[in-house]
Amino acid sequence: MPSKVGIVGIGHSKFGKRTDATIRELAHEAVRPALEDAGLAIGDMDASVIGIAGEEFAMQGAPAAVVHDYIGMGNKPTYRVEAACATGSAAIRTAWALINSGLHDVALVVGAETMTRVSSARATELMARAGDTRWEYPFGITFPGFYALMATAHMNEFGTTREQLSMVSVKNHKYGAMNPYAHLQKEVSLEEAVKSIAISHPLNLYDCCLISDGAAAVVMASEEKARQITDTPVWITGLGASSDSMLIAERPTLTGLIGAKIAAKRAYEMAGIGPSDVDVAEVHDCFTIAEIMAYEDLGFCEKGKGGRFIEEKQSYIGGKVPVNIDGGLKSKGHPLGATGVSMAVELVKQLRGEGGNRQVSGAEIALSHNVGETGQFVFVHIYSR
Amino acid sequence: MKFGYTSWLPETQLVNKFIEGLGGNRLLGTQCRKCGGKYLPPRAHCKCGSTDLEWFDAPNRGRVRSYTVVSFAPESMSRYAPYIVGVAEVEGGMSLMGQLTGVTPSTLKVGLLVQIVAHQPDTDRIVYKFKPA
Repeated sequence: MPSKVGIVGIGHSKFGKRTDATIRELAHEAVRPALEDAGLAIGDMDASVIGIAGEEFAMQGAPAAVVHDYIGMGNKPTYRVEAACATGSAAIRTAWALINSGLHDVALVVGAETMTRVSSARATELMARAGDTRWEYPFGITFPGFYALMATAHMNEFGTTREQLSMVSVKNHKYGAMNPYAHLQKEVSLEEAVKSIAISHPLNLYDCCLISDGAAAVVMASEEKARQITDTPVWITGLGASSDSMLIAERPTLTGLIGAKIAAKRAYEMAGIGPSDVDVAEVHDCFTIAEIMAYEDLGFCEKGKGGRFIEEKQSYIGGKVPVNIDGGLKSKGHPLGATGVSMAVELVKQLRGEGGNRQVSGAEIALSHNVGETGQFVFVHIYSR
Repeated sequence: MKFGYTSWLPETQLVNKFIEGLGGNRLLGTQCRKCGGKYLPPRAHCKCGSTDLEWFDAPNRGRVRSYTVVSFAPESMSRYAPYIVGVAEVEGGMSLMGQLTGVTPSTLKVGLLVQIVAHQPDTDRIVYKFKPA
């Protein structure tokens, strides 16, 4: 039986088009508040676990080394973790395992990415090469394209509508507008979202997450250390992970992510809870259809009912499970490596009751769902007070 | 000859054989002699660990499982945009990604029966594509 690992400090940079900083300064911007929040100094960290997805985006080979040095970790050990868009959650899982192994007591997890220094067509190219470069990339498939294939299949099989997809975007922009760290702090109307320009039919501009720069950091500690450091640790009580085939064509279904269902089941079992116990969730809304499938894969609603779930506002604050009430990838932004850590930062705030005007009252159990590529990496974490 | 509208990886012996097949309008897969596992597109090694695979001719008919119209293309594909990418289930159960041609907004739908045919998008490039059967 593994022992508990707690999060004792959180920090977040402003997400956005950050031409004022490179990846090292962004990391610093997230690490300093995380240390302050924990009441610790950089010298108190036993190791760093750094999540950065792409060298081409960072414009630096082995970018974790630069971050580790810049934030002042000196001769302490460091680990670079990469799991595409799920890099940040993979870093948290790695730190959990390192702490549980007894190798380190206190670990600093940093997720960071710079993506806006390249053109959108170049960014689309670099991300497309994360698909299978042998058999699928050669047809010009993109990441919006992969999820558009799932959207077409979902709409065809379950009658999910154009409006329901856009409703996810409307919700996430509503909450993103309330989050000072979000990239695009503005609300969007259903009409604007429905009518925006096509990116990969049926997905349009407002169905797609942003290409952003940003960083997030958490300080993680063993149970004993966590209790010494703070009176309000947030515990990681469940972890689930899975994967899937590189070739999306090879999958038996295109209307959900099998890996997400497997990861969720493992995480729920480890935490000893079920989907109805989740008070607040952060899910991987890289595209609106991804959030709808996540409702279903995580068991928040029945298979095929994800469209209705958003239409009934069940994922708003006051609904069954408030989802992405920090704006999600859609409005807050999606700096690949930072995303999973940013999810943890938001959930820790919610569990501490520090959510301000976005607080879910009495939140005790929180869940994050972070997907890399189209499910080749899936991490579900469960947090509790 | 290279495989795909765009490519990043070099061609291997396996891919060259697949390309050679396409040149003769044949869609080639590989099958494991040990466990019977069938691969389309082909693999050099079976997921069971075996390296003992043989080539087979896959059916050239299929059914569209899903599709998307890519308007915003990656840098290397911008000259082709917009284009339709689909996933088709080939007779016999295997599934492939490919571009779809010869359809209109009213004929393009999940379930469309397609033929899988060789196509040369450029003098030095070959692919297969889906067109209505």
